[in-house]
Amino acid sequence: MTAQMTSDAISISDEEKEILQEIMNIAFGKAAADLAEVISIFVRLSVPEIAMVQVIDLPAYLRSEVSCCEPISIIEQNFWGEFKGSAFLVFKSGAEKELISLLDSGGEASFESESLEILERETLMEVGNILIGACVGKVAELLKDVVTYSPPRVIIEDNPDHAIPESLLDPSLTAIILKTVFCFHERDVNGLLFLVTSQESVAWLKNALFEFMEQYECA
Amino acid sequence: MVKKILLVDDSPISRRMLKSCIAKDMGYQFYEAGDGLEGLNLYKEIRPDVTFMDLTMPVMDGVTSLQEILNFDNDAVVIVSTADVQIKSITNCLDIGAFLVLKKPPTRESIFNALSMAAELPR
Repeated sequence: MTAQMTSDAISISDEEKEILQEIMNIAFGKAAADLAEVISIFVRLSVPEIAMVQVIDLPAYLRSEVSCCEPISIIEQNFWGEFKGSAFLVFKSGAEKELISLLDSGGEASFESESLEILERETLMEVGNILIGACVGKVAELLKDVVTYSPPRVIIEDNPDHAIPESLLDPSLTAIILKTVFCFHERDVNGLLFLVTSQESVAWLKNALFEFMEQYECA
Repeated sequence: MVKKILLVDDSPISRRMLKSCIAKDMGYQFYEAGDGLEGLNLYKEIRPDVTFMDLTMPVMDGVTSLQEILNFDNDAVVIVSTADVQIKSITNCLDIGAFLVLKKPPTRESIFNALSMAAELPR
């Protein structure tokens, strides 16, 4: 990780990062359970890794995670609450086909009338909606917040440098990156979730993390 | 009466949360491990009365560690404490021989009830 925070950025301590990692871990467990219910197969989770970078460093981060020439698919969804921002779920190219085949193998989906491109987009949108909703929703619930969401949007981009909307490349914004691998029934689908949020939301998050741990401080 | 408690979880925060849910005046001795293999080795060394086991961990996952502990000691009381709340994960742990499966985050009530149930087991 080469990203540097500017001096006016609100920093997150190692302990706060560990608390956030545990909360994200719980949130991803809920997300996996929701997804497993929809596709009726077992989802094996990996230990999530968490990092915080400035949004302007995100394209470089994405380049380091995916091959520079490899197309990526991103599902974007905005959320509003005390904690607000945009959630991005990144899949490497080909994940949508894996997901479709998994949905198809459940025997409940019928794709005959759909063009493949539309189907791929809708699959990504549905999977993204479930994962982002469960993950952000669980984080909000644990931190005693309530969030609402915009409809999900799919971005398919050949170049990771262009994957983040220019309007979001604001140095005052922070990205919380949660990297995990979902393994669906022996098929690895690499998923990268990141939340882009303001310094104001990071300040709220720090306080909420403190309050969350307070309930565990004395027995 | 449960005396020795082993906490196996790669997250120090998670271990701290779980430990804080257990009343300090009950005289428990706590032992901690950061992965399934360390937990297995520590189990063999200290023979705890109750083990709390996470599932998603590096080096050795919780399911493997649970199996190995039960292979070593068929009477081991292992309570799985996990964020993985998929039905298949829960039933798998119970089928292997976990005493209970508790979902994260822990609460004082759930931990108290689990320890009370464990204390009632014939030893």
